[in-house]
Amino acid sequence: MLVAEGLMVFYENMLALNNISIKCGENQIIGVFGANSAGKSTLMYTLSGIILDQMKKEKMRGGEQITVMGEISLFDQDISSLKPHLRARRGIVLCPERRRLFPESSVLENLKIGAYMATKKEAKETLDYVLEIFSPLKKLLHRSAGFLSGGEQQMAAIGRALMAQPKLLLLDEPLLGLSPAYQQVVMESVKRIREMKKISIIITEQFARPVIPIVDYAYIMENGSRVMSGSGQELLDNPDVKAAYFGV
Amino acid sequence: MKTGMRKERIDRGIKVRSDGIYALSSWREMSYLMAPRALLVGGLLLAPLILHFFPYWQKVLLIVCIYALLSMAFDFLANYVGLVCLGGSFFVGVGGYGAALLNKYLHFSPFLSIPVAALGGAAFCTFLLLPCLPLRGVYFAIITLMYPLMMTRIIEAFELFGGTNGMMDIAGFANPWAEQYFLIISTLVFLFALRRLAVEDIGLVIRGIKDNDQSVRASGINITVVKAQALFCAAFLGCFAGAYLAHMYMWAGLSMFALDFSIIPIAATVVGGGGCLLGAVVGAILLVPLSEALRAFGPLRIVSYSLILTVVIVIKGEGLLNYLSRKYDQFERWVEI
Repeated sequence: MLVAEGLMVFYENMLALNNISIKCGENQIIGVFGANSAGKSTLMYTLSGIILDQMKKEKMRGGEQITVMGEISLFDQDISSLKPHLRARRGIVLCPERRRLFPESSVLENLKIGAYMATKKEAKETLDYVLEIFSPLKKLLHRSAGFLSGGEQQMAAIGRALMAQPKLLLLDEPLLGLSPAYQQVVMESVKRIREMKKISIIITEQFARPVIPIVDYAYIMENGSRVMSGSGQELLDNPDVKAAYFGV
Repeated sequence: MKTGMRKERIDRGIKVRSDGIYALSSWREMSYLMAPRALLVGGLLLAPLILHFFPYWQKVLLIVCIYALLSMAFDFLANYVGLVCLGGSFFVGVGGYGAALLNKYLHFSPFLSIPVAALGGAAFCTFLLLPCLPLRGVYFAIITLMYPLMMTRIIEAFELFGGTNGMMDIAGFANPWAEQYFLIISTLVFLFALRRLAVEDIGLVIRGIKDNDQSVRASGINITVVKAQALFCAAFLGCFAGAYLAHMYMWAGLSMFALDFSIIPIAATVVGGGGCLLGAVVGAILLVPLSEALRAFGPLRIVSYSLILTVVIVIKGEGLLNYLSRKYDQFERWVEI
C-alpha cells in the first residue's frame, strides 16, 4: 500500500536520509531499526509529511534549510507533496517520538482530539476498543495527560493515533523509556491492533529484540542509509546484526 | 520538489578563515570582519555632522538612538533571557522621572543625573518586577504592561511630580554636540557591551535559562538571581533612554509612560531581526525615520506603517539583519545529487 522510492532529506548540508526506499504491504508490520542518528525519526517525519511543515517553519524564521526529495505513494497515488493533515486524512497517522500528548488535557480529551476526523460512530467504537487493549487507561480517563507515567502516556499516545482511523500507523520509538515488562505489553497490543483493525504498522526502534518477533519485514539503517533488510528471521540469523541490534 | 538538484549554502572561505586566528593575517580578512561594524559605528558617528544643516533630522537621529536602546533591551530580554517585556515605557518613565527629580531637587548636571537615574531606575524596576521572575510564561509580559498604566494613574491621582503637567524646567544640555555625541557613543558602547555579555559565561547561563530553566536549576544555579541581573541590564538601557529624554525635552511627564515606547521597539526588533541585538538597532534606524517620513500621510500614517510592517514580517519573517548576515557569510549554489 505504501511505497517510498529514493527518499533523500538534507538538513542544511547534512544528509539525513540517503536514498531510502521502503515498502509496506497491507496488513503488514514493518520494523525500522537503527542506532542514534540513523535517520529513523526523519524517515517517519518524511512519510507522515511533518517534514514539509518543519521545512516551511525553518524557512520562515531563516533557520536550517531542509531539502526533501523522493517519491511516496499510498494506494498507487502520489502523495509526495501532500501536506501532513491531508496525508492523515488518507490514513497515514504518526504517533510521534516522546509521545507529544497535550499535557493539560485529560486522557479522554486527548483521545477525542485524535478522533477529530472520525465519525461519531467510529470514534465511539475506537474508544471502546482502545480502552479494551490499553485497559489501564480506563481508570485514568479524567486525569490530565501531563501527570501520567511514561508507559501510560505511551498507551494514550498510541490510542490517540488509533482514534484517527489510520490505515497506516507510524510508531516512532514506542518503547522509549519503558520497562521490559511494559515493552512486552505495548508490543502485544500492537500485534492485536493489527489483527483486529487490519491496518499496516511501521515501527522504529533502537533495540530490535522486543520488536522483531512481531514484524513481517525489517530494515536496518545506519547514518541515513539502508544497510540491510529482510524478514525477522533473516536478520536474526545474521551475526553482525545480532551483535549490533540484539545485544547478543 | 525538484529532483536531482539542491540549493546548497556554504560559508564563504573568508568567513571560515577570519573566524579563526588567521583573521589577523591579511588586510582583506581584517576588513571583512571590521567592515560591517565600521559601517555602523562610522555611520552613527558621522551622522550628526552630515545632518548639521537639518536640525529636525538631528533630533530624529536622537530619537533613533533612544528607540535603539529600547529595542536592544527588548531583544535582549526576549531572545536571550526568554522574557517578553511589554514595558519599555515603564523603564522610560522611571528613568525620566528619576533624572528630573535628581536635577530639580539635587541639582545634578545632566551628565551626572542620567547615569545615576539609569542605575537607580534599573534597580527600582528590577525590584518591582522581581516577583514574576521565577515564572515562565505570560506573567512577566502582563505585569510589565500593567506597571506603566499603574504609574500614570498614581501620578495623576496623587498629583505627584507636577501631576498631569509633568515636571518642567529640567536642565537641558548646554552644548548641542555634547548632547548628540553623548547619546550616540553611549548607544554604541551599550550595544557592544551587551553583545559581549551575551557570549561571556553569564550570557551562556542566561541563554540556558531561555531554553530550559529546569536544567539550569539542576546545575546548581539560582535562576532568579541570574534573571534579575539580566533584567537589571535591560532596565538600565531603558532607564538611560528615559533619563536622556527628560533632559533632551527639558521636561518629564506622563507621556513618558506612553505605549509607543513599548510597541515600537518590538516592531523594530521584528523588522531588524531578533537574536543578535544589532538587528534591533538596525530596525530602529529604519523604522523611526520611516515613521517620521510617513507624517506626510497624515492620518493614514499608522496605516502605511502597519502595512510595511506586515509585508516585512510575511516576506522576511527572519528579520532584515539575519537575512543580510547570511548573504554576507554564505554563498549559495545549485548542486546535483
